[in-house]
Amino acid sequence: MTEDKTILKMTNIVKEYENVKALGGVDFSINKGEIVTIIGPSGSGKSTLLRCINGLSTPTSGKIDLRGRTSMVFQHFNLFPHMTCLENITYAPVKVLKRPKADVIAEAKELLEMVGLADKANVYPAQVSGGQKQRIAIARSLAMKPDLMLFDEPTSALDPEITGSVLEVMKKLAGEHMTMALVTHEMKFARDVSDRVLFMAEGRILEEGSPEEIFDMPKTKRLKDFLNSML
Amino acid sequence: MTDIFNTIQADMPLLMEGTWNTIKLFGFTLVLSLPLGLPFALGSNSRFFPIKFICSTYVWLFRGTPLILQLFFFYFFIPIMTGVTLNVFSTATLTFALNYAAYFAEIYRGGINSVDRGQFEAAHSLQLSKKQTLFDIVLPQTMKAILPSIINETITLVKDTALVQAIGMMELMKVTYGIVNRTSSVFVFLEAAIIYLFLNFLLTLVANKLEAYFNRYDAKEE
Repeated sequence: MTEDKTILKMTNIVKEYENVKALGGVDFSINKGEIVTIIGPSGSGKSTLLRCINGLSTPTSGKIDLRGRTSMVFQHFNLFPHMTCLENITYAPVKVLKRPKADVIAEAKELLEMVGLADKANVYPAQVSGGQKQRIAIARSLAMKPDLMLFDEPTSALDPEITGSVLEVMKKLAGEHMTMALVTHEMKFARDVSDRVLFMAEGRILEEGSPEEIFDMPKTKRLKDFLNSML
Repeated sequence: MTDIFNTIQADMPLLMEGTWNTIKLFGFTLVLSLPLGLPFALGSNSRFFPIKFICSTYVWLFRGTPLILQLFFFYFFIPIMTGVTLNVFSTATLTFALNYAAYFAEIYRGGINSVDRGQFEAAHSLQLSKKQTLFDIVLPQTMKAILPSIINETITLVKDTALVQAIGMMELMKVTYGIVNRTSSVFVFLEAAIIYLFLNFLLTLVANKLEAYFNRYDAKEE
Protein backbone atom coordinates (compact mmCIF):
# COMPACT_ATOMS: atom_id res chain seq x y z
CA MET A 1 0.00 0.00 0.00
CA THR A 2 2.43 2.69 -1.10
CA GLU A 3 1.12 6.22 -0.92
CA ASP A 4 1.57 7.03 -4.62
CA LYS A 5 -0.73 4.18 -5.66
CA THR A 6 -3.66 5.69 -3.78
CA ILE A 7 -6.30 7.10 -6.11
CA LEU A 8 -8.81 7.99 -3.45
CA LYS A 9 -8.49 8.64 0.23
CA MET A 10 -11.56 9.62 2.26
CA THR A 11 -11.11 10.45 5.92
CA ASN A 12 -13.80 10.60 8.58
CA ILE A 13 -16.65 11.32 6.15
CA VAL A 14 -19.87 12.43 7.81
CA LYS A 15 -23.05 13.12 5.89
CA GLU A 16 -26.18 14.36 7.61
CA TYR A 17 -29.56 15.03 6.01
CA GLU A 18 -31.88 17.11 8.17
CA ASN A 19 -31.80 14.87 11.26
CA VAL A 20 -30.61 11.66 9.66
CA LYS A 21 -26.98 10.62 9.75
CA ALA A 22 -26.36 8.84 6.43
CA LEU A 23 -22.63 8.48 7.02
CA GLY A 24 -21.17 8.51 10.50
CA GLY A 25 -17.45 8.98 10.04
CA VAL A 26 -16.25 6.68 7.27
CA ASP A 27 -12.63 6.12 6.25
CA PHE A 28 -12.23 4.71 2.77
CA SER A 29 -9.41 4.50 0.27
CA ILE A 30 -8.77 2.84 -3.07
CA ASN A 31 -5.50 2.03 -4.79
CA LYS A 32 -4.92 2.06 -8.51
CA GLY A 33 -6.16 -1.14 -10.12
CA GLU A 34 -8.10 -2.21 -7.07
CA ILE A 35 -11.69 -3.44 -7.18
CA VAL A 36 -13.63 -2.66 -4.05
CA THR A 37 -17.19 -3.80 -3.46
CA ILE A 38 -19.49 -2.24 -0.91
CA ILE A 39 -22.30 -4.42 0.40
CA GLY A 40 -24.89 -3.87 3.06
CA PRO A 41 -28.62 -3.48 3.69
CA SER A 42 -30.48 -0.64 2.01
CA GLY A 43 -30.20 2.64 3.84
CA SER A 44 -26.75 1.73 5.13
CA GLY A 45 -25.08 4.64 3.31
CA LYS A 46 -23.43 2.65 0.50
CA SER A 47 -24.75 4.83 -2.29
CA THR A 48 -24.19 8.01 -0.29
CA LEU A 49 -20.54 7.06 0.15
CA LEU A 50 -20.21 6.48 -3.59
CA ARG A 51 -21.95 9.76 -4.36
CA CYS A 52 -19.61 11.66 -2.05
CA ILE A 53 -16.70 10.44 -4.17
CA ASN A 54 -17.87 12.15 -7.36
CA GLY A 55 -19.49 15.19 -5.78
CA LEU A 56 -23.14 14.25 -6.31
CA SER A 57 -23.32 14.48 -2.55
CA THR A 58 -21.27 16.87 -0.44
CA PRO A 59 -20.15 15.52 2.93
CA THR A 60 -21.13 17.49 6.02
CA SER A 61 -17.57 17.02 7.22
CA GLY A 62 -14.49 14.99 6.38
CA LYS A 63 -11.69 15.05 3.87
CA ILE A 64 -11.67 13.66 0.34
CA ASP A 65 -8.42 13.36 -1.57
CA LEU A 66 -9.19 12.25 -5.10
CA ARG A 67 -6.46 11.98 -7.70
CA GLY A 68 -7.93 11.64 -11.13
CA ARG A 69 -11.24 11.47 -12.86
CA THR A 70 -14.23 9.43 -11.79
CA SER A 71 -17.18 8.31 -13.85
CA MET A 72 -20.36 6.80 -12.50
CA VAL A 73 -22.67 4.07 -13.76
CA PHE A 74 -26.15 4.47 -12.30
CA GLN A 75 -28.86 2.07 -11.25
CA HIS A 76 -31.28 3.64 -13.72
CA PHE A 77 -28.69 4.08 -16.50
CA ASN A 78 -29.55 7.76 -17.04
CA LEU A 79 -28.75 7.66 -20.73
CA PHE A 80 -29.64 10.85 -22.59
CA PRO A 81 -32.85 9.85 -24.40
CA HIS A 82 -32.57 12.49 -27.12
CA MET A 83 -29.17 11.27 -28.28
CA THR A 84 -28.37 8.07 -30.16
CA CYS A 85 -26.33 5.47 -28.31
CA LEU A 86 -23.20 6.62 -30.13
CA GLU A 87 -23.89 10.28 -29.33
CA ASN A 88 -24.40 9.35 -25.68
CA ILE A 89 -20.87 7.98 -25.66
CA THR A 90 -19.18 10.70 -27.73
CA TYR A 91 -20.82 13.82 -26.29
CA ALA A 92 -18.70 14.29 -23.15
CA PRO A 93 -15.30 13.37 -24.59
CA VAL A 94 -15.86 15.83 -27.45
CA LYS A 95 -17.58 18.64 -25.55
CA VAL A 96 -15.96 18.31 -22.13
CA LEU A 97 -12.52 16.88 -22.84
CA LYS A 98 -12.36 18.71 -26.20
CA ARG A 99 -10.94 15.67 -27.96
CA PRO A 100 -11.02 15.38 -31.76
CA LYS A 101 -14.39 14.10 -32.87
CA ALA A 102 -13.07 11.50 -35.34
CA ASP A 103 -10.88 9.88 -32.66
CA VAL A 104 -13.72 9.84 -30.17
CA ILE A 105 -16.14 8.25 -32.64
CA ALA A 106 -13.61 5.55 -33.52
CA GLU A 107 -13.07 4.81 -29.82
CA ALA A 108 -16.80 4.85 -29.10
CA LYS A 109 -17.32 2.24 -31.80
CA GLU A 110 -14.63 0.07 -30.20
CA LEU A 111 -16.35 0.49 -26.83
CA LEU A 112 -19.71 -0.50 -28.34
CA GLU A 113 -17.96 -3.54 -29.80
CA MET A 114 -16.51 -4.35 -26.38
CA VAL A 115 -19.94 -4.28 -24.73
CA GLY A 116 -21.38 -6.30 -27.62
CA LEU A 117 -23.64 -3.60 -29.04
CA ALA A 118 -21.85 -2.45 -32.17
CA ASP A 119 -25.14 -2.62 -34.09
CA LYS A 120 -26.87 -0.16 -31.73
CA ALA A 121 -24.70 2.88 -32.51
CA ASN A 122 -27.39 4.82 -34.33
CA VAL A 123 -30.52 3.90 -32.41
CA TYR A 124 -31.98 5.84 -29.50
CA PRO A 125 -31.89 4.49 -25.93
CA ALA A 126 -35.68 3.97 -25.94
CA GLN A 127 -35.17 1.34 -28.61
CA VAL A 128 -32.85 -0.94 -26.62
CA SER A 129 -33.48 -3.19 -23.60
CA GLY A 130 -32.53 -2.40 -20.01
CA GLY A 131 -29.47 -4.61 -20.03
CA GLN A 132 -28.34 -3.04 -23.28
CA LYS A 133 -28.93 0.45 -21.87
CA GLN A 134 -26.65 -0.33 -18.94
CA ARG A 135 -23.92 -1.66 -21.20
CA ILE A 136 -24.12 1.53 -23.24
CA ALA A 137 -23.98 3.56 -20.01
CA ILE A 138 -20.81 1.65 -19.07
CA ALA A 139 -19.34 2.42 -22.49
CA ARG A 140 -20.27 6.08 -22.00
CA SER A 141 -18.45 6.17 -18.68
CA LEU A 142 -15.41 4.40 -20.10
CA ALA A 143 -15.18 6.91 -22.94
CA MET A 144 -14.22 9.55 -20.38
CA LYS A 145 -11.13 7.46 -19.59
CA PRO A 146 -11.78 7.59 -15.86
CA ASP A 147 -9.15 6.72 -13.28
CA LEU A 148 -11.88 5.35 -11.06
CA MET A 149 -15.19 3.84 -12.15
CA LEU A 150 -18.10 4.05 -9.72
CA PHE A 151 -20.95 1.57 -10.06
CA ASP A 152 -24.08 2.35 -8.06
CA GLU A 153 -26.17 -0.84 -8.05
CA PRO A 154 -25.76 -1.27 -11.79
CA THR A 155 -27.91 -4.39 -12.04
CA SER A 156 -30.60 -3.63 -9.45
CA ALA A 157 -33.08 -2.27 -12.00
CA LEU A 158 -32.63 -5.21 -14.36
CA ASP A 159 -34.49 -8.49 -14.69
CA PRO A 160 -32.41 -11.32 -13.21
CA GLU A 161 -31.99 -13.08 -16.54
CA ILE A 162 -30.31 -10.06 -18.15
CA THR A 163 -28.01 -8.99 -15.32
CA GLY A 164 -25.52 -11.54 -16.66
CA SER A 165 -24.71 -9.51 -19.77
CA VAL A 166 -23.91 -6.45 -17.65
CA LEU A 167 -21.85 -8.39 -15.11
CA GLU A 168 -19.92 -9.95 -17.98
CA VAL A 169 -18.89 -6.52 -19.22
CA MET A 170 -17.86 -5.52 -15.70
CA LYS A 171 -15.85 -8.73 -15.38
CA LYS A 172 -14.04 -7.77 -18.57
CA LEU A 173 -13.14 -4.42 -17.01
CA ALA A 174 -11.99 -6.14 -13.84
CA GLY A 175 -9.76 -8.33 -16.00
CA GLU A 176 -8.21 -5.18 -17.44
CA HIS A 177 -7.51 -3.91 -13.90
CA MET A 178 -9.80 -0.94 -14.17
CA THR A 179 -10.03 0.68 -10.73
CA MET A 180 -13.60 0.22 -9.55
CA ALA A 181 -15.78 0.98 -6.56
CA LEU A 182 -18.99 -0.97 -6.74
CA VAL A 183 -22.19 -1.02 -4.73
CA THR A 184 -24.10 -4.20 -5.48
CA HIS A 185 -26.43 -6.89 -4.21
CA GLU A 186 -24.85 -9.49 -6.51
CA MET A 187 -22.96 -11.43 -3.84
CA LYS A 188 -21.55 -14.07 -6.14
CA PHE A 189 -20.21 -11.41 -8.46
CA ALA A 190 -18.74 -9.46 -5.54
CA ARG A 191 -16.94 -12.57 -4.36
CA ASP A 192 -15.60 -13.34 -7.85
CA VAL A 193 -14.20 -9.97 -8.85
CA SER A 194 -13.42 -8.00 -5.67
CA ASP A 195 -9.99 -7.44 -4.21
CA ARG A 196 -11.61 -6.07 -1.11
CA VAL A 197 -15.15 -6.07 0.26
CA LEU A 198 -16.68 -3.55 2.65
CA PHE A 199 -19.75 -4.27 4.73
CA MET A 200 -21.69 -1.16 5.70
CA ALA A 201 -24.60 -0.74 8.11
CA GLU A 202 -26.11 2.40 9.58
CA GLY A 203 -23.62 4.71 7.94
CA ARG A 204 -20.50 2.92 9.12
CA ILE A 205 -18.11 0.33 7.77
CA LEU A 206 -18.58 -2.65 10.08
CA GLU A 207 -16.28 -5.10 8.36
CA GLU A 208 -13.68 -4.89 5.66
CA GLY A 209 -11.51 -7.58 4.11
CA SER A 210 -10.86 -10.00 1.28
CA PRO A 211 -13.92 -11.71 -0.27
CA GLU A 212 -13.01 -14.88 1.63
CA GLU A 213 -12.83 -13.05 4.94
CA ILE A 214 -16.15 -11.34 4.39
CA PHE A 215 -18.17 -14.13 2.84
CA ASP A 216 -16.64 -17.21 4.51
CA MET A 217 -15.57 -15.84 7.88
CA PRO A 218 -17.95 -13.03 8.83
CA LYS A 219 -17.12 -11.74 12.30
CA THR A 220 -20.12 -9.65 13.28
CA LYS A 221 -23.67 -10.83 13.77
CA ARG A 222 -24.88 -8.02 11.51
CA LEU A 223 -22.86 -9.33 8.57
CA LYS A 224 -23.85 -12.94 9.26
CA ASP A 225 -27.53 -11.93 9.32
CA PHE A 226 -27.10 -9.88 6.16
CA LEU A 227 -25.39 -12.68 4.26
CA ASN A 228 -28.08 -15.13 5.36
CA SER A 229 -30.79 -12.77 4.17
CA MET A 230 -29.12 -12.58 0.75
CA LEU A 231 -29.20 -16.34 0.19
CA MET B 1 -72.12 35.44 -56.23
CA THR B 2 -70.42 38.24 -58.16
CA ASP B 3 -71.53 40.60 -55.37
CA ILE B 4 -69.64 38.58 -52.80
CA PHE B 5 -66.63 38.40 -55.09
CA ASN B 6 -66.70 42.17 -55.62
CA THR B 7 -67.01 42.80 -51.87
CA ILE B 8 -64.04 40.56 -51.13
CA GLN B 9 -62.05 42.25 -53.86
CA ALA B 10 -62.87 45.67 -52.45
CA ASP B 11 -62.03 44.70 -48.84
CA MET B 12 -58.88 42.81 -49.68
CA PRO B 13 -56.24 45.59 -49.82
CA LEU B 14 -57.17 46.92 -46.37
CA LEU B 15 -57.59 43.46 -44.90
CA MET B 16 -54.17 42.44 -46.23
CA GLU B 17 -52.59 45.54 -44.73
CA GLY B 18 -54.20 44.73 -41.38
CA THR B 19 -53.17 41.10 -41.64
CA TRP B 20 -49.61 42.13 -42.37
CA ASN B 21 -49.53 44.29 -39.21
CA THR B 22 -51.03 41.41 -37.22
CA ILE B 23 -48.34 39.06 -38.55
CA LYS B 24 -45.61 41.59 -37.77
CA LEU B 25 -46.78 42.03 -34.18
CA PHE B 26 -47.13 38.27 -33.84
CA GLY B 27 -43.66 37.60 -35.26
CA PHE B 28 -41.80 40.21 -33.22
CA THR B 29 -43.58 39.17 -30.04
CA LEU B 30 -42.69 35.52 -30.55
CA VAL B 31 -39.06 36.18 -31.47
CA LEU B 32 -38.60 38.34 -28.37
CA SER B 33 -40.70 36.48 -25.79
CA LEU B 34 -39.56 32.90 -26.53
CA PRO B 35 -35.94 33.57 -25.48
CA LEU B 36 -36.91 36.13 -22.81
CA GLY B 37 -38.94 33.51 -20.98
CA LEU B 38 -35.87 31.37 -20.31
CA PRO B 39 -33.99 33.64 -17.87
CA PHE B 40 -37.23 34.18 -15.94
CA ALA B 41 -37.81 30.43 -15.82
CA LEU B 42 -34.29 29.82 -14.50
CA GLY B 43 -34.60 32.75 -12.10
CA SER B 44 -37.87 31.46 -10.65
CA ASN B 45 -36.07 28.17 -9.98
CA SER B 46 -33.07 29.90 -8.42
CA ARG B 47 -32.04 29.13 -4.86
CA PHE B 48 -30.78 32.72 -4.52
CA PHE B 49 -33.76 34.47 -2.97
CA PRO B 50 -33.50 37.99 -4.52
CA ILE B 51 -33.37 36.53 -8.03
CA LYS B 52 -36.16 34.09 -7.31
CA PHE B 53 -38.24 36.94 -5.85
CA ILE B 54 -37.72 39.27 -8.80
CA CYS B 55 -38.52 36.60 -11.37
CA SER B 56 -41.56 35.22 -9.54
CA THR B 57 -42.90 38.73 -9.03
CA TYR B 58 -42.44 39.50 -12.72
CA VAL B 59 -44.43 36.42 -13.66
CA TRP B 60 -47.08 37.23 -11.06
CA LEU B 61 -47.53 40.80 -12.35
CA PHE B 62 -47.72 39.95 -16.02
CA ARG B 63 -49.96 36.94 -15.59
CA GLY B 64 -52.05 38.58 -12.92
CA THR B 65 -53.29 41.60 -14.85
CA PRO B 66 -55.23 41.81 -18.13
CA LEU B 67 -53.09 42.21 -21.22
CA ILE B 68 -55.22 45.14 -22.35
CA LEU B 69 -54.54 46.92 -19.08
CA GLN B 70 -50.83 46.37 -19.60
CA LEU B 71 -51.19 47.84 -23.09
CA PHE B 72 -52.78 50.99 -21.67
CA PHE B 73 -50.14 51.15 -18.96
CA PHE B 74 -47.28 51.10 -21.44
CA TYR B 75 -49.12 53.37 -23.86
CA PHE B 76 -50.17 56.08 -21.38
CA PHE B 77 -47.98 55.83 -18.30
CA ILE B 78 -44.54 55.06 -19.67
CA PRO B 79 -44.39 58.32 -21.71
CA ILE B 80 -45.51 60.28 -18.63
CA MET B 81 -43.09 58.54 -16.29
CA THR B 82 -40.05 58.40 -18.56
CA GLY B 83 -40.67 61.10 -21.13
CA VAL B 84 -39.97 58.54 -23.83
CA THR B 85 -42.74 58.13 -26.37
CA LEU B 86 -42.76 54.96 -28.43
CA ASN B 87 -44.90 54.53 -31.51
CA VAL B 88 -47.95 52.32 -31.30
CA PHE B 89 -46.30 49.30 -32.89
CA SER B 90 -43.27 49.42 -30.57
CA THR B 91 -45.49 49.84 -27.52
CA ALA B 92 -47.61 46.88 -28.57
CA THR B 93 -44.58 44.69 -29.30
CA LEU B 94 -42.93 45.59 -25.99
CA THR B 95 -46.07 44.87 -23.97
CA PHE B 96 -46.82 41.62 -25.76
CA ALA B 97 -43.22 40.39 -25.52
CA LEU B 98 -43.06 41.08 -21.77
CA ASN B 99 -46.47 39.49 -21.21
CA TYR B 100 -45.84 36.36 -23.25
CA ALA B 101 -42.37 35.94 -21.72
CA ALA B 102 -44.09 35.47 -18.36
CA TYR B 103 -46.27 32.68 -19.73
CA PHE B 104 -43.39 31.02 -21.56
CA ALA B 105 -41.27 31.27 -18.39
CA GLU B 106 -43.80 29.17 -16.50
CA ILE B 107 -44.02 26.64 -19.32
CA TYR B 108 -40.21 26.32 -19.43
CA ARG B 109 -40.00 26.06 -15.65
CA GLY B 110 -42.52 23.22 -15.61
CA GLY B 111 -40.60 21.49 -18.40
CA ILE B 112 -37.22 21.82 -16.70
CA ASN B 113 -38.60 20.55 -13.39
CA SER B 114 -40.11 17.52 -15.10
CA VAL B 115 -36.75 16.29 -16.36
CA ASP B 116 -35.57 13.27 -14.38
CA ARG B 117 -32.96 14.00 -11.68
CA GLY B 118 -30.88 11.19 -13.08
CA GLN B 119 -30.23 13.27 -16.19
CA PHE B 120 -28.65 16.02 -14.10
CA GLU B 121 -26.64 13.40 -12.20
CA ALA B 122 -25.38 11.77 -15.38
CA ALA B 123 -24.41 15.19 -16.74
CA HIS B 124 -22.56 15.96 -13.51
CA SER B 125 -20.83 12.59 -13.57
CA LEU B 126 -19.63 13.28 -17.11
CA GLN B 127 -18.37 16.71 -15.96
CA LEU B 128 -20.66 18.76 -18.19
CA SER B 129 -20.79 22.46 -17.39
CA LYS B 130 -24.05 23.98 -16.17
CA LYS B 131 -24.51 25.60 -19.56
CA GLN B 132 -23.94 22.32 -21.42
CA THR B 133 -26.32 20.54 -19.07
CA LEU B 134 -29.04 23.13 -19.65
CA PHE B 135 -28.75 23.60 -23.38
CA ASP B 136 -27.64 20.16 -24.56
CA ILE B 137 -29.26 17.81 -22.05
CA VAL B 138 -32.19 19.42 -20.23
CA LEU B 139 -33.81 21.81 -22.71
CA PRO B 140 -33.85 19.42 -25.68
CA GLN B 141 -35.66 16.90 -23.48
CA THR B 142 -38.24 19.41 -22.28
CA MET B 143 -39.10 20.50 -25.82
CA LYS B 144 -41.22 17.45 -26.50
CA ALA B 145 -43.22 17.88 -23.32
CA ILE B 146 -43.72 21.64 -23.53
CA LEU B 147 -44.37 21.93 -27.25
CA PRO B 148 -48.17 21.55 -27.01
CA SER B 149 -48.30 24.30 -24.36
CA ILE B 150 -46.08 26.56 -26.44
CA ILE B 151 -48.26 26.03 -29.51
CA ASN B 152 -51.33 26.77 -27.41
CA GLU B 153 -49.88 30.10 -26.29
CA THR B 154 -48.82 30.87 -29.84
CA ILE B 155 -52.34 30.36 -31.15
CA THR B 156 -53.66 32.56 -28.35
CA LEU B 157 -51.12 35.17 -29.38
CA VAL B 158 -52.52 35.29 -32.93
CA LYS B 159 -55.92 36.16 -31.48
CA ASP B 160 -54.59 38.45 -28.73
CA THR B 161 -53.15 40.74 -31.39
CA ALA B 162 -56.74 41.94 -31.87
CA LEU B 163 -56.42 43.75 -28.51
CA VAL B 164 -54.00 46.36 -29.83
CA GLN B 165 -56.77 48.08 -31.74
CA ALA B 166 -57.46 49.61 -28.30
CA ILE B 167 -54.36 51.77 -28.67
CA GLY B 168 -55.06 52.41 -32.32
CA MET B 169 -52.83 50.00 -34.18
CA MET B 170 -54.16 49.15 -37.61
CA GLU B 171 -54.15 45.39 -37.26
CA LEU B 172 -56.66 43.01 -38.79
CA MET B 173 -59.47 43.56 -36.25
CA LYS B 174 -59.29 47.35 -36.33
CA VAL B 175 -59.26 47.33 -40.12
CA THR B 176 -62.27 45.02 -40.07
CA TYR B 177 -64.25 47.39 -37.81
CA GLY B 178 -63.31 50.22 -40.16
CA ILE B 179 -64.76 48.38 -43.12
CA VAL B 180 -67.94 47.51 -41.18
CA ASN B 181 -68.45 51.18 -40.29
CA ARG B 182 -67.78 52.36 -43.82
CA THR B 183 -69.84 49.77 -45.74
CA SER B 184 -72.51 49.01 -43.13
CA SER B 185 -72.00 45.35 -43.97
CA VAL B 186 -70.96 42.71 -41.47
CA PHE B 187 -69.76 40.32 -44.17
CA VAL B 188 -66.18 41.42 -43.53
CA PHE B 189 -66.32 39.78 -40.08
CA LEU B 190 -66.52 36.46 -41.91
CA GLU B 191 -63.54 37.39 -44.04
CA ALA B 192 -61.56 38.32 -40.93
CA ALA B 193 -62.51 35.05 -39.25
CA ILE B 194 -61.26 33.12 -42.26
CA ILE B 195 -57.96 35.01 -42.20
CA TYR B 196 -57.44 34.29 -38.47
CA LEU B 197 -58.30 30.64 -39.05
CA PHE B 198 -55.91 30.47 -41.97
CA LEU B 199 -53.07 31.94 -39.89
CA ASN B 200 -53.67 29.38 -37.14
CA PHE B 201 -53.92 26.63 -39.73
CA LEU B 202 -50.41 27.54 -40.89
CA LEU B 203 -49.25 27.48 -37.27
CA THR B 204 -50.72 24.01 -36.80
CA LEU B 205 -48.75 22.79 -39.81
CA VAL B 206 -45.53 24.10 -38.27
CA ALA B 207 -46.52 22.55 -34.93
CA ASN B 208 -47.01 19.14 -36.52
CA LYS B 209 -43.56 19.29 -38.13
CA LEU B 210 -41.97 20.28 -34.82
CA GLU B 211 -43.83 17.57 -32.93
CA ALA B 212 -42.63 14.91 -35.37
CA TYR B 213 -39.08 16.20 -34.98
CA PHE B 214 -39.12 16.11 -31.18
CA ASN B 215 -40.74 12.67 -31.16
CA ARG B 216 -37.93 11.16 -33.19
CA TYR B 217 -36.29 9.48 -30.21
CA ASP B 218 -39.43 7.81 -28.87
CA ALA B 219 -39.56 4.07 -28.56
CA LYS B 220 -40.22 2.49 -31.94
CA GLU B 221 -40.73 -1.08 -32.88
CA GLU B 222 -37.56 -2.35 -34.47
